[in-house]
Amino acid sequence: MSTKPLAARTGRSLQARRRTITAYLFLAPALSFLLVFFFLPLAQVVYYSFTDFNLYRSNWVGAANYTALVNDPLFWLSIRKSFIYLLCTPILIVLSLSLAIIVNRSLRGIAFFRAMYFMPAVISAVAIGMIFELVFADQGLLNGLLRGLGLVRISVGFLQDPNLVLPSIMSVTIWRGVGYYMVMFLAGLQAIPKELYEAAAIDGANTLQQHLYITVPGVRPIIVLVGVLSSIAALRAFDEIFIMTSGTGGILNSGLTAMFYLYRQAFVFNNVGYASAIAVVFSLIIIVFTLINLRLGGAR
Amino acid sequence: VSRLRRRLASAGWYLLLTAVMLVTAVPFAWAALMSIRETAANPFPRNRPAQVLPYPGLVGWGEGLREARATGEYAGPGGWWRDYGPEVRERLEGTRLEPYTFPATTENYYRVAQDIAIGRYFMNSLLVALGAVALTLLLCSLAAYPLAKLRFAGRDVLFIVVLSTLIFPEQLILIPLYVMAVNVFGFQNSFYGLILPFAASGLGIFLLRQIYYAIPDELIEAARIDGASEFGIWWRILLPLIRPGLATLAIITFVGSWNNFLWPLLMLSDTSLFTLPVGLSYLRGFFSGSLRTVAAGIVIATVPIIIVFMIFQRQFIQGLSGAVKG
Repeated sequence: MSTKPLAARTGRSLQARRRTITAYLFLAPALSFLLVFFFLPLAQVVYYSFTDFNLYRSNWVGAANYTALVNDPLFWLSIRKSFIYLLCTPILIVLSLSLAIIVNRSLRGIAFFRAMYFMPAVISAVAIGMIFELVFADQGLLNGLLRGLGLVRISVGFLQDPNLVLPSIMSVTIWRGVGYYMVMFLAGLQAIPKELYEAAAIDGANTLQQHLYITVPGVRPIIVLVGVLSSIAALRAFDEIFIMTSGTGGILNSGLTAMFYLYRQAFVFNNVGYASAIAVVFSLIIIVFTLINLRLGGAR
Repeated sequence: VSRLRRRLASAGWYLLLTAVMLVTAVPFAWAALMSIRETAANPFPRNRPAQVLPYPGLVGWGEGLREARATGEYAGPGGWWRDYGPEVRERLEGTRLEPYTFPATTENYYRVAQDIAIGRYFMNSLLVALGAVALTLLLCSLAAYPLAKLRFAGRDVLFIVVLSTLIFPEQLILIPLYVMAVNVFGFQNSFYGLILPFAASGLGIFLLRQIYYAIPDELIEAARIDGASEFGIWWRILLPLIRPGLATLAIITFVGSWNNFLWPLLMLSDTSLFTLPVGLSYLRGFFSGSLRTVAAGIVIATVPIIIVFMIFQRQFIQGLSGAVKG
């Protein structure tokens, strides 16, 4: 370096500096948006969680929100509901992988079927929640079928019975997600070489064995991806719960997930400080959960 | 024999595929059937088959709905209605179809069109989604280029900063974002408030960076030697090359914005600014007594997006699987 002429050295550093300035000019718009609308709120939510901020006042209250949270039975109920909601994830993985295997063959018109399965993903959860209100209604499709088949005498209150509210809404989340994650698995399946299956068939492996020992390890990264994406989606599910419980969180808080409790405390009761504490604790749980997921998936 | 077996096998696959398709399609069909039913009708009468086949009943548009219901027909200055029900029922009487049928009506659609500005909600949603797509593509394609292709101090740190946005769940920043949007920016009842806060997406930057990364450095070097500016290289050479990635990001952003509910629900109180999901939720409350009228609203709101999806289904599906592979 030092043996080079001075002119070349300053020339190079000048060039490097110009490159750096150019790079930051390209980055500046996006970074300033992220700073204002992401990192600033991130710091604020932690600050709010130590105050009694509502629409009229804001005083520092220390950890009072957090101690109240620990003693709030509704908070723990909502966390439990959110974990129940997470059961969507394994069901979604199994269903969407199976469906991807089914549609991963060259049949005439297969693109049409793929599109039909994917379609619910482009329709808003609000519309889908309303469609399923019609399906779950007293004189709805499901009760009609159940009565017609003689399985029940009186209509089932899918959205009224406290024990059924959450499973009913979860089934809608699953119904809407299967086609979406199917497409992700399809991308993974198409990357698995066909020769592997031929070789396994020659060795006498049946279809189930082929899928267990070739397909599942082959799409392992996609399983992790779908697991992370669908569990994040399950933990923040809001639209379908809001619609199908008429914005109440369900009879006897039967649909009160942590996300919904956060919404209620912040935007219905205006307890912004307390809701911020819920957001912080709940988000920590999600982050830890996601990291565990990634670690489990990443480690062989 | 082997041809017959192949035929049978593919017939089996089609059967399975169709059965699964029914699971996705039947709820939509059910909503459509409900939307053309009279308000008081029960589709599942006791000890009789379910009524699922529509025949024309009270059909028309405009004023005179009530008169037509009473007298069977109305043709006035502001509307036209006619009740075909009795005639058709007479013809169906005694046929095998009779117990499965019900009189279809347009009155639910008329009510929705009368009381809810659903066309307007549609345009609002479109405007917001297109604005979000344009801004997101611009910000992300600008920011991803130096992260993939330029060497400068702080690049790795900045990339980690961008990636870190992916790990924090959205609900964490929701509350301060709301306070900021209302108190600082005055975003309430404005479309800026729906577009700006989510325009810079960490996922979008990451996605496009992967695609820039695959472009050979020689191409950029050659352009530099030819004296092109960095901005010129980005605009004239790189942007055309990353079009598939831009299409993927555009689709993801459009669908996300189009379907977004909670944020517009918090931001909008002026009914003329409602986006489609908020408008649907409003309609649901407005017609809370009549599921059939709500069903008509659902059909009006979902059919256009289904048509758009069917036209572009290939791009949608390839875009998403492209994002997974990238």
